[in-house]
Amino acid sequence: MTAETIEQAIRDLVAAYGDGVRTAHEGIRTLVRVSDVELPPGCQPSRTPMLIVFDRDQAKPIPHVQPEQLLANGRAPRSTSTQIVGGESWMQFSFNIPWAEGQGIIRFIAAARQRFAQDD
Amino acid sequence: MTEAALRVPVGLGHSLREEVFRQGRHEYVALGLVASATLAGGETLLLRRIFTLPEDEYVDAPGHDGAWRGAAMIPAIEAAVDGGLGLVVFHAHAHDGPPRLSGDDRESAGRLLPMFAARVPGRPHGSVVLSRSHAAGLIAMPGAPAREMTLDVRWLGASIVDWRAGTEPRSSDSSLAFARQRLVVHDRGQLTLGGARVAVVGLGGGGSHVAQQLAHLGVGELILVDPDRVSRTDLHRLVGMMTLDVLLRQSKTRMIRRAIRRIGMGTRCETVTERIPGPVALAALARTDVIVGCVDNLHARADLQELAWRFLIPYVDVGVNIRAIKEPEPHGPRVAIGGNVLTLIPGGFCMWCSGFLSKEKLATELRGPDRSYFENREGEAQVVSLNGLVASQAVTEVLQLFTGFGGTGVGLSDLALDGRPGTQRGFRKLDGVRGTLEDWGAWRRPDCSFCNSTLAAGVVAWKTPR
Repeated sequence: MTAETIEQAIRDLVAAYGDGVRTAHEGIRTLVRVSDVELPPGCQPSRTPMLIVFDRDQAKPIPHVQPEQLLANGRAPRSTSTQIVGGESWMQFSFNIPWAEGQGIIRFIAAARQRFAQDD
Repeated sequence: MTEAALRVPVGLGHSLREEVFRQGRHEYVALGLVASATLAGGETLLLRRIFTLPEDEYVDAPGHDGAWRGAAMIPAIEAAVDGGLGLVVFHAHAHDGPPRLSGDDRESAGRLLPMFAARVPGRPHGSVVLSRSHAAGLIAMPGAPAREMTLDVRWLGASIVDWRAGTEPRSSDSSLAFARQRLVVHDRGQLTLGGARVAVVGLGGGGSHVAQQLAHLGVGELILVDPDRVSRTDLHRLVGMMTLDVLLRQSKTRMIRRAIRRIGMGTRCETVTERIPGPVALAALARTDVIVGCVDNLHARADLQELAWRFLIPYVDVGVNIRAIKEPEPHGPRVAIGGNVLTLIPGGFCMWCSGFLSKEKLATELRGPDRSYFENREGEAQVVSLNGLVASQAVTEVLQLFTGFGGTGVGLSDLALDGRPGTQRGFRKLDGVRGTLEDWGAWRRPDCSFCNSTLAAGVVAWKTPR
């Protein structure tokens, strides 16, 4: 992922989520925290902070939500793991979310959110 | 006066003291880059790096003990801006007892701190004076005006050396209970142990030994972390476990807490039944003085080390692995018994520096593309006496950290293995067939990306994007 792609993604996130966006750098990773993202109806909790990690060594952004997040069907998502990012606990999920550099981060987040409405 | 805390990694503390206590025609300063976090001692500054000033950058200024060109600070300020870190100016008053900021110190801090805050907003900045036993300073925490504070300073080295701002702990009346260990521990060490908070993560064959030995030593508080309940297959090696626990499906944390209460040394226990690195476990571990990891996989070890490095907490790791030899020699051993006791002092070598961890090893531990496919190692061979061997060494390491019975220096040379400069002790390997625990030595790699990005990183500082 190029530095320009990451900068564009941050601009897009600020345009969409305004003051709720914060950034930080750790080594070669750029961390972006969106304070309040709405999940599909039925998810518990229904709103979550989301952390998006941009790693220049990775092909696509890595989204995280708060640990203990439940799917719309009330179950815990499979294929998740809790990780330390920036000194805090975050849940990473291995949903296969399509990403193309040109498609934009907002569509990527929308696809990530929608996966919480599915059953696994 | 308000109190704050400062933690200093091994090696860096020695360099800092060498610089600011240097004898010369003026006072010497060092510029420190700091992250911060709220830890056991409250708001805590974590020293990441120091910059010293070349001699020709100091200037003669009548009425001032030390003065320097402003441009000399540019490299440190740029590094602070790049890393999103706070800036602290250190200097020294070479006497014992609490230091006081001079009028000159206050006036200088009054000029520098607003400039630092303008360059790196949202981070703590300060001016700190060290004596030979205490520290004080003017500190501006994020969003607050600069205030005069005394500082608790924790120097990491061969042992944990604490300079306390407040009163020292008073002697306890439990001396008879610990009389037979006084030669090693000393009265002051016993008091330190009584005030210590140690986490034991993983309460299986190794952790059950470690927790109870720590209670026997007189450690004041244990954080017991394990999400599992006991089963019949644990009975052969979990010290303190009873058959009844199997019937009750007792949690490991409750079982060990009961065993510790029965020892009767007054050790307090906090139990956490969450898997590492869940938020509750993370918060509990961040408040500890030392972490002992007795876990059975590399991913958990990587998490514990990350926590230890971020918040400058010494981490002792133990493990045993037993493998069958496929084609043993006649009359030769039929098993290979390996293991480790790693004493990881932030600022020294880490598991990545030493090759104990690698991306390849972590990938091998997984069956799939990420950690959710983790392959559980439950059912691997374990023997109580071998667990006990490495556990006892781990507890001895903790004892050294709190009491310094084997030395108290804070330089990397104070950790040198057998007088070999650059090779640090603390990487012990078990040969369980021979019954030896050999110190292999390891060293910090200057290019270690983990150390460079994580050491004293604290909690990430979020910024509003421009």
